[in-house]
Amino acid sequence: MRLPETQLALLEAASATETKTVAQLAEELGEDPAAVTRAAFELAEEGLLAVEEHVAETVTLTEEGRRYREGGLPELRLRTAAAEAGADGSAVEMGQLIGDAELDGPEVDIALSNFARKGYGEIDGGAVTLADDPTYDPDADPEAEALEAVANDEAGYLDSGVLDRLESRGLLERTETTVRSVTLTDEGVTALMEGVEAAETVGAITPELLTSGEWTDVEFAEYNVEADAETTYGGKEHILRRTANRVKDVLVGMGFREMEGPHADADFWINDCLFMPQDHPARTHWDRFAMDVPPMEDLPEDLVERVEDAHRNGVGPDGDGYHSPWDEGFARAVALRGHTTSLSMRYLSGHAVGDLEPPQRYFSVQKVYRNDTLDPTHLLEFFQIEGWVMAEELSVRDLMGTFTEFYEQFGITDLEFKPHYNPYTEPSFELFGKHPETGELIEIGNSGIFREEVLSPLGVECDVMAWGLALERLLMLMYGFEDIRDVHGTLCDLDLLRNVEVVY
Amino acid sequence: MPVVDVDPEELRTLAGAEDKSDEELKSDLFALGLEFEGETDDGEFELEFAPDRLDRLSVEGIARSLRYQYGHDRGVYIPDTNDAEWAIEVDESVPDERPYVTGAIVRGLDLDERRLESLIQLQEKLHATMGRDRAKGAIGVHDLAMLKGGSPGNDTENNGPQKTITYRGVDPDGDRFVPLDDDADRTPAEVLETHPVGETYGDLVTDLDRYPAIYDDIGLFSFPPVINGKRTEVDEGSRDLLIEMTGTDQWTIDRMLTIVCYALDARGGQIEAVDVRYPDGTVRRPDLSTDTKRLEHERIETTLGVDLAGTEVIDLLERAGLDAEPEGEPGRDETSRADAVDTDVEIESVPKRTGSPDTAPGGSTDAPAGTDEGPVYEVEIPPYRVDVLHPMDLIDDVGRAHGFNDLEPRYPDVSTVGGRHEGSRLEDAARDALVGLGFEDLLNFHLTSEAELFDRMSLSPDDDTLGGLEPPTITEPYSEAYTVVRTWALPSLLSVLENNTHRAYPQDLAEIGLVAAVDESEPTGVAEHRSVAGVLARTDASYEDAKARVAAIARAFGVELETPPTDHPSFVAGRTAEIVLDGEPVGVIGELHPRVLVERDLELPVAAFEFRLEGLAD
Repeated sequence: MRLPETQLALLEAASATETKTVAQLAEELGEDPAAVTRAAFELAEEGLLAVEEHVAETVTLTEEGRRYREGGLPELRLRTAAAEAGADGSAVEMGQLIGDAELDGPEVDIALSNFARKGYGEIDGGAVTLADDPTYDPDADPEAEALEAVANDEAGYLDSGVLDRLESRGLLERTETTVRSVTLTDEGVTALMEGVEAAETVGAITPELLTSGEWTDVEFAEYNVEADAETTYGGKEHILRRTANRVKDVLVGMGFREMEGPHADADFWINDCLFMPQDHPARTHWDRFAMDVPPMEDLPEDLVERVEDAHRNGVGPDGDGYHSPWDEGFARAVALRGHTTSLSMRYLSGHAVGDLEPPQRYFSVQKVYRNDTLDPTHLLEFFQIEGWVMAEELSVRDLMGTFTEFYEQFGITDLEFKPHYNPYTEPSFELFGKHPETGELIEIGNSGIFREEVLSPLGVECDVMAWGLALERLLMLMYGFEDIRDVHGTLCDLDLLRNVEVVY
Repeated sequence: MPVVDVDPEELRTLAGAEDKSDEELKSDLFALGLEFEGETDDGEFELEFAPDRLDRLSVEGIARSLRYQYGHDRGVYIPDTNDAEWAIEVDESVPDERPYVTGAIVRGLDLDERRLESLIQLQEKLHATMGRDRAKGAIGVHDLAMLKGGSPGNDTENNGPQKTITYRGVDPDGDRFVPLDDDADRTPAEVLETHPVGETYGDLVTDLDRYPAIYDDIGLFSFPPVINGKRTEVDEGSRDLLIEMTGTDQWTIDRMLTIVCYALDARGGQIEAVDVRYPDGTVRRPDLSTDTKRLEHERIETTLGVDLAGTEVIDLLERAGLDAEPEGEPGRDETSRADAVDTDVEIESVPKRTGSPDTAPGGSTDAPAGTDEGPVYEVEIPPYRVDVLHPMDLIDDVGRAHGFNDLEPRYPDVSTVGGRHEGSRLEDAARDALVGLGFEDLLNFHLTSEAELFDRMSLSPDDDTLGGLEPPTITEPYSEAYTVVRTWALPSLLSVLENNTHRAYPQDLAEIGLVAAVDESEPTGVAEHRSVAGVLARTDASYEDAKARVAAIARAFGVELETPPTDHPSFVAGRTAEIVLDGEPVGVIGELHPRVLVERDLELPVAAFEFRLEGLAD
């Protein structure tokens, strides 16, 4: 039989007749007690050794306890000084006794209170008188004796009352430890008699070791498997991309196709098609990022005409237009899109992928640009989730059902639909939902059924419902980030991105 | 979104809701779409709402909506209007840029401090919304007692009003008047220079040859859209008011006037008409005529997704402050209303604002209402409803009155096939490859500054190399840090390195994102691309490390990589190569130049690459 060196040494040191503690054996073998314990259990598993455990109380003196054991308990020193000064006959002034007993600082109070407790005498008006106690033996104070016993590891014989007292005086500490002791089993004895050899231990597993077959006869050196390993990060998809992909997965699963299109676009696609009047406050220069490039020539003329007509005259026999100026030059001006609804307009008009027949579902998760002030919850550019459903007939209930389904995928339930106003949808709803963590009611999107004034010029003759939501808002809800700038943009904190928890 | 301050006590009184607690009131307001945002120091509610129902810009209008909600009022209400005693003459000298005026008189008001404040607030909020900061419409309110009417001009018929004021143009340095909050008489030009309000709104008139002004027999008393004269200032003692509005659109100022008239009517004022005499004809104002729209029953049901009885629809419309009855059958009135008016007469009295009612709409030409399509309602809309452009706006009213949240959600029974766009699939596949190579995927702003793109990279927009392109520029940027769209992505990654020098190395960062450049050949004038960029910031980073990774990506996508030497000002000469994928030059790879590193306070070498994503496509 081959055993690792530590196990072999332990097996040889153990006895079949005498129980030995692991601590004893470790000292005997000059090994680390933890290694001996481990070896003992491994041998026990082989049936060669029996391991017993019991809980033992260890009592040790504190620093103060050790000091009193050397120099004497303060009250005893006071008692002795008093006896020497003749206080057993008449009162002796305290100050003198404190000096004689060499009491200092807090020891004075300790001496006085315990002097009184032990009934050594009376302290009155700064003078000490010893009680008349013929049985008193200065060398037989139970507490002093207990200190001595603890120091000599003989605490087991002591009365627990004395130990409690000394513990409350802060002179000793009691701790519980598990003591393991071992004895050789019969199999262990047999094995030893048959002869046990030490096995070779190796570090690395090398190709030679494997090919030579030597691996069958070696033991592998143990590692401290609990020690810290080097920190490694690996690569990670950005948390906002991850969230975007999660949204895309959900939407594709619900039958939506993805749209793409230009970030810089004519205001015509961004706003005019959406029936946003040209003098709408959101279209003023301080809300949009106008680009310093020539106006866009390439717009479908017939569509431009129909959109202008919708703005000026409305749609249908009972429709009214806006009483706002409409200038084709403004419609052709190029700006960074303030919403990805510009893509929806391109797709619905048939100019992105050809004419669309109902039913259709489309979405995009792309960046939009708003001339806002940067703060923890606002960025100049952020991702907008945009989606729409086209069908012959859609009702508000279909809209509610679609969004209830979508938001439930993200743990947001109990949707409320607050009637709202958008120039491009009617009816319109702000969506509110219950925060998955706090239960608070929060705004989670804007939605509605596209107006006739939007759809009719685009040539769409059925119903289209649409909604939008900032992806960053969903991210902050899902992850609880407080400052979006830590995540998105060049001010991001690499540590945060490296350590952010994975969600799926 | 507009915010209106409303005294809850006053709201209770006007709405007949004395017994409502603050919480009940807030909840009722929320149901109308008015969100409680907080309280002012004086304990007034700050209510925020979407800018459609501009008739709710004052406590009187909000109270009116609540009264309908509570059922205190039903149907359309039109205030009574007395005949005109006053006229506004529009002179030929009126500036062409601001040709329109309208007006009304309201008599017998009992204004206290709060009512006056409410009127001023309504005026300000209307300026901010419909009035587009006074550019489209500006309101002046005057104490009628302080005005002296002129004699009627050329009106020979002598049956019109006898008292006139005149809207005309004035030389900027012409007539003088004492403006509000001032003590000296000034010319309009002086007002613009010296008066704080003049400085704020001066831009609206400075380009005009003649400034707009309104005169009575005594002289100039109003300088729209800037400021009124002090002489006609309204205070708590004013009982009779002249309200005038000027602007660039007649409809807009007429509707603003209507909203003010309804508010003052709710305060017990008596409205009196004013004749506006344009050179080519006279109109009588305020125009409190109603509009009528046809609403198909079936369209209500398909939009809301519920079945409704005809009587129910009419009830809901009346609770929304509208009147309705089935078209073509005024006799067979489904409703319980006993006072149904003759709809034909109503319709004729309504001026059609748009188009001509050429053909009978909705395919119900030869069949009266009540056929397969279900009934069609004639819905009468009060003049303060500036938001109703189309019958679908009335369906929204029906839905709100019905309660949208009482509708049961249902998943639409519509099948479609979902899928990702090819461009976004390619981007994701490339990102997976980068992450597999150990890169931390980043997401940076597309907007940046020229200093970041060029100066800090030792690059010039004229350099014919990666990043050396004319960036699309924002015409009126707010912040110096964000003035252009980036032409390349490496500067963003270097900024992240710069901001994270206290974090553990190695820092291997990558990004796939938008880059753009001015390009006349593109329809939008802007060429947009997805760019793949990576940096390896590590103590032993070298050209080889970067190339190994680019090569791994090229292999993964089955494209051939060549790296002929090239020069780029951001990289070390002799350690820079062009990235050529399947024969197309698409980017640059190399070791960044120490001057670029030192500029970013980086104390270790950085190997980097950037190339167009389309280089990986099939």
